[in-house]
Amino acid sequence: MNTSSKGFVIVASKNSNFYIYATNLAESIKDFYPEAQITLVTEERFIDERADVADNIIHCDNHYRAKLWGMAQTPYDITMYLDADMDCEHEDIMNVWDNLKDYDMVFHELTKEREKFYAIREFSYNGNMEKYTLCGGVCLYRSSNPLVREFMEDWFELFNKQYNGLWTPDGFNDEQWRQDLAKFDQTTLWWLVNKVDKYKDLKIGFFHDDIRWNYFTQYGYEGLHSIEGKPPVLRHYSGSLKKDTLIV
Amino acid sequence: MQRIWLNNAFWETPKRQMLNAISEETEQPNKVKREVHKLNKYNDDGTPNELFNEAVEFLGEEVINAATKKRLEKKQAEAEIEKEKKLEKERSKKLEKLFEYKLETFEIDEIKNSKNRLLKSKLRRSKSIPEVNLYAMMIVKESLEDEHIK
Repeated sequence: MNTSSKGFVIVASKNSNFYIYATNLAESIKDFYPEAQITLVTEERFIDERADVADNIIHCDNHYRAKLWGMAQTPYDITMYLDADMDCEHEDIMNVWDNLKDYDMVFHELTKEREKFYAIREFSYNGNMEKYTLCGGVCLYRSSNPLVREFMEDWFELFNKQYNGLWTPDGFNDEQWRQDLAKFDQTTLWWLVNKVDKYKDLKIGFFHDDIRWNYFTQYGYEGLHSIEGKPPVLRHYSGSLKKDTLIV
Repeated sequence: MQRIWLNNAFWETPKRQMLNAISEETEQPNKVKREVHKLNKYNDDGTPNELFNEAVEFLGEEVINAATKKRLEKKQAEAEIEKEKKLEKERSKKLEKLFEYKLETFEIDEIKNSKNRLLKSKLRRSKSIPEVNLYAMMIVKESLEDEHIK
């Protein structure tokens, strides 16, 4: 019998709207999956009765990318990280764990047809065009694997350095680095996966019918659908919400 | 120099008075002149259009009819896809608005503080703004009744 603990991690920092999105997401998961274990990583100042939906609360600071820190704090053996500005729409959320198979990390894929909805997909590295292929909006990972946990810790640490201009690797186009890459956690993710030796054996895959697990509402603008014709499990409102304006 | 007509020619009008056709003429070895024609059956002075007749004779009406049918079906399928895409976009935009509306609704104190999971879940899963309003009213009503009892 598999006794691994499984749970969701949702992070809300910096902006109180994210706390509202996060608790709403947690409630929406429990609508379909009442037994779901949910850890809310958030700032103490935001917490009110809505946090009761969470089974576990971890306090974080107001870091812009507390998300990465939160991913490393998971109390579960298998973790599904979710961006806060999502909504669960389907009971298949209960089966999310099946996607892990023998992978260490599972992502939503950044494909050519989806690229218009992302800030940047292609970039120059050592004179070649490289691509981000992993979208960090959702991530299912084997947090019981110490190397995976270390990966998450490194992701946060290295991103911090990158964001603050303390880490500027060679090989990138200077202007593109400054304009598009330096403040982007996807850059760090790409680096760790592709350039750091100790992580080269990590098994990284994609969700089956991955569009269902991170359905950006804008995908609907282009009629992008699940390959199996199934409805989204998690809808991502990333591009449509006015995150910096008051909800009420 | 012989002129040939490509077999994707189609009738522009149901009465078959205008033909859209592509001709190819080999001018020199390895150099083909390709021209798109919109040919009326008759010239302005009412005389038969020789080029129209040439194309129809070369291809045969059956070939043109079949190409016309195929083109029409393709156009209809494309229009259907376009229509579906437009609808899908509208649906997505509506969903975005609906989601924001729900978040606002959940900020109403009586709803925020309600412990009625069932109604809150119904509100969250509502498919339209009127449905959101309906469940919001039920939750507020319940809260007012609870207050009255106290």
